[in-house]
Amino acid sequence: MNGTFTKPWGAIRKTKSFKDIVKALWQANPISKQILGICSALAVTVQLNTAIVMSVALTLVVAFSNLAISSMRHVIPRNIRIIVEVAVIATLVILADELLKAFMYDVSKQLSVFVGLIITNCIVLGRAEGFALSNPPFRSFMDGIANGIGYSSVLIGVAFLRELLGSGKLFGYQIIPDMFYELGYVNNGLMVLAPGAFIIIGLFVWLEHTLLNRKS
Amino acid sequence: MSDRIKAILFAAILCLICSVLLTTASTGLKGFKEVNVLIDKRRNILKSVGLVQEGRTYTPDEIQTIYSQRIKELWVDPDGRLIEKPLTDEQDIPLYVYVEKEQIQAYIVPINSRGLWGRIYGYLAIKNDGTTITGFTVYKHSETPGLGGEIEKAWFQKNWVGKKIVDQGGEFVSVSIAKGETKDVVPEDKNLHYVDGISGATLTGKYLSAGIRDTLENYEPVSIRFRKNLVSEPPG
Repeated sequence: MNGTFTKPWGAIRKTKSFKDIVKALWQANPISKQILGICSALAVTVQLNTAIVMSVALTLVVAFSNLAISSMRHVIPRNIRIIVEVAVIATLVILADELLKAFMYDVSKQLSVFVGLIITNCIVLGRAEGFALSNPPFRSFMDGIANGIGYSSVLIGVAFLRELLGSGKLFGYQIIPDMFYELGYVNNGLMVLAPGAFIIIGLFVWLEHTLLNRKS
Repeated sequence: MSDRIKAILFAAILCLICSVLLTTASTGLKGFKEVNVLIDKRRNILKSVGLVQEGRTYTPDEIQTIYSQRIKELWVDPDGRLIEKPLTDEQDIPLYVYVEKEQIQAYIVPINSRGLWGRIYGYLAIKNDGTTITGFTVYKHSETPGLGGEIEKAWFQKNWVGKKIVDQGGEFVSVSIAKGETKDVVPEDKNLHYVDGISGATLTGKYLSAGIRDTLENYEPVSIRFRKNLVSEPPG
């Protein structure tokens, strides 16, 4: 136990929560490793702004649905557990949608149906069914946060590249100077369309698999 | 207690908790949402007459200020006269006018049209000559994103600017959404009465064209008065 005091980082690295988080962020990243949640990753990554709001919404929904389902895991009747999970998730998603409509109306209009579609996002139901049902509440909550961040990291990465290459902007502010355009630089129109997102996500998947293989 | 009863009981309690949560959130946030919706409508009215620029963000206060300075909410009686308050007559219809230097620059017609999946709400602004469109906007719809949903995008809306709702002989023809690009599918002399369609959204275009035609027909009395130069100042 001495190590706990001298090397707090080392102790943290040995906890179960930490291992879960690393797994969700890297070895089993929901998008680039498990290829889940691709639909929303294509749709909301044209701009960084919408991607970040979507990421936060999804992270909170996964975390709290995991927490709620994990707290109820001993009383949920086995035969209706999927219905219960979906009901909990749907409630949280509608709450998130209502909050966005009340406080971030413009972003909520841009995200349109995709906030509602978090309900059908495989990541949320997957974590509820695969993790929260068999683990205690705190660890489940952390697992939700970790998976949310895993999803967010890819989403924000893709949105960064798409907004920069597709419209020369970041967060709506012009980044590429006018001089470049005068010299003949042209925004890549493909990046604004869904196929551009497919290509970038593909490259992310390739990068991650290569790095993971090299390690093992 | 059998498993079945336990499951039903659990489901019932869960539903109760979820519905209480959702109702609380929905009623609690109602005030905020209503303000947002109102500001968004006003932003769209301003956009249809070119008072707000695309790509710039305006704070709610800015929108309110421009709106109260420039826009007047009026009504139109069945003869096409502008009136300040609707009479008991139910045939009066709402109209917004854009006023600058005491003169009406344009009038804005609220659009409430059938769409493919639900109603399409927006505004169509017409210049004080009673013929030329200055802008078209959509603030609420349920069309498919990427297909019919493109009606809310700038590229689609900017095509409406400068189109004419009457032909050269002065007959009302409305403006319709073409099936494809106007330059390919519409004869040149009719170009002014069509806007480019959205591929994959033929039905949305068809319903919206019909909705706009019906609405403009209702507003023909006032449009005719504008064409004859009978109105130039807001009443009162």
